[in-house]
Amino acid sequence: MRQLRVIKTLIKLRLSNLMVFRLSFFGAFLIDGSMFALQLVMFNTIYSQVDSIGGWSRGEVVIFIGTFSMINALNMLIYFFGINDLPQRILDGRLDHYLTKPGSPLLRLTFESVDIGSIPLVLGSIGIIAYGVSLAGITLTAGKVAAYIVMVLLMTLLWYDVELILRCIPFFVISAGGITQLEQFIELCFKVPGVLFKGVFKVLFYFVLPYGVMATVPTQLLAGTLTPGGLCYAVFIAALFTALALGLWRLGVKNYKSASS
Amino acid sequence: MKKYLEILKISFKAQIIYRMDVLFQLLFGITKIIFASVVWGVIFGSRSEVAGFTLNTMLSYYIVSSFLSCMDLSDITGNEMTWRIRDGTFSKYMVVPARVFGYLGAQTAGKAAFYLTFNLIAAVVWVLLFQIKFAITSNALLIIGALLMAALGLVFMLQLNYFLGILTFKFQDVWMFMMIKNNIVQFVTGSLIPLALLPQPVIDAMRLLPFYYVTYLPSMLLIGRNGEELLSGIIIIAVWVAAFIPLNLFTYNHLRKRYEGVGI
Repeated sequence: MRQLRVIKTLIKLRLSNLMVFRLSFFGAFLIDGSMFALQLVMFNTIYSQVDSIGGWSRGEVVIFIGTFSMINALNMLIYFFGINDLPQRILDGRLDHYLTKPGSPLLRLTFESVDIGSIPLVLGSIGIIAYGVSLAGITLTAGKVAAYIVMVLLMTLLWYDVELILRCIPFFVISAGGITQLEQFIELCFKVPGVLFKGVFKVLFYFVLPYGVMATVPTQLLAGTLTPGGLCYAVFIAALFTALALGLWRLGVKNYKSASS
Repeated sequence: MKKYLEILKISFKAQIIYRMDVLFQLLFGITKIIFASVVWGVIFGSRSEVAGFTLNTMLSYYIVSSFLSCMDLSDITGNEMTWRIRDGTFSKYMVVPARVFGYLGAQTAGKAAFYLTFNLIAAVVWVLLFQIKFAITSNALLIIGALLMAALGLVFMLQLNYFLGILTFKFQDVWMFMMIKNNIVQFVTGSLIPLALLPQPVIDAMRLLPFYYVTYLPSMLLIGRNGEELLSGIIIIAVWVAAFIPLNLFTYNHLRKRYEGVGI
């Protein structure tokens, strides 16, 4: 209950801050919205030439893009702007402010930069998913929708874990340069439905950096093509990466040498 | 001219310090090739041709276009201007005895020249790694024309980013427009998919825009296609470059008076 009060206060403070920069308020929505609109156009163009890609129909790919957009929107809405700057805070010692205050530093970092301007992106993603569902001719049930929502939240947690793991690296090395660049490089591969990956890419994007699982598994769940094995794997990988991220954070904080890091 | 050459040389040498940046730049290039090999590999598994492309010509297209788009470092210019105007350190560009566009252009050219060698090596490595029968034209006229068009395209992108950078004098917060522009440019230059896949009326409309000639048409020319568009392409992109010269001059001279040099 106390943690919820902390989160509520952090959101209130963030809202006051956002109102100062009104032009940037919907920045994340406009930037990511344009990215997903172009991804839709891109796959639509490819589907004008072919009937299916790796057994996925146009509708399934639209659901995939909508799901990817939804996970990204939740990432922007809740935690991205909070943990994005973590490497710099470690390097210049600003993390001290978080460690010396009462309460969980990770909780504060995660929720202190909530971006309300990303809410339209969530609504837009729902629109894309609904369009995909109608294209694919999927019959929705309350159970299926509930399971899909749970899976999207689980995959949002998985994305958070991967982001946190990458941003904990500067606890142990001198330079933080390139981590976000590396992430941008990896996330480009997130735009490809995971079912298309084969061989070494399958291992890389399903286990080492599980971006291939994140939007693919909820899409398969909604389309009714997810196997029990696939479902168990998604839950297992989310649990594993959550444990890894929290472990690495704790180890990193122990290793943190304040401004001299 | 000599002073800009010196700026170019310094910028070239300075890149040696940022070795990780070189690595990441090369990685950016490979993502598009991975995307192409994964998606198009699956599509071509069940058919031999899509919109006149075979798997080899499609992958060759992505390697060439990826190489050309990696050479376009002009967004650094726009970002540099934006942040320097915002934090009040743009004054250094106003006091040096060189035109701002020339200074930033020479800096970008120095970086691009440094990356040229690495990007070429990377392109060869990807051809070998993905075992692609690289389909490049042997027609010297097409190669020279494509390189000239690509060079004009890079100048245009520099002018465009410079123009957006100048707008910071007025709007202060243009990072959002820069990022949206980056998203759109990736698509309209044909870096994500070949524009030949789009409906014909859309392609016809795109021919009037400069972006068609930045990456897409030079890449197509280098893989031996669209040769009939060579001359008209060079003329159109040259007209765009020429049109942006007075536009940038006027906008800069008009808006720079708003700069206070104290940061925002």
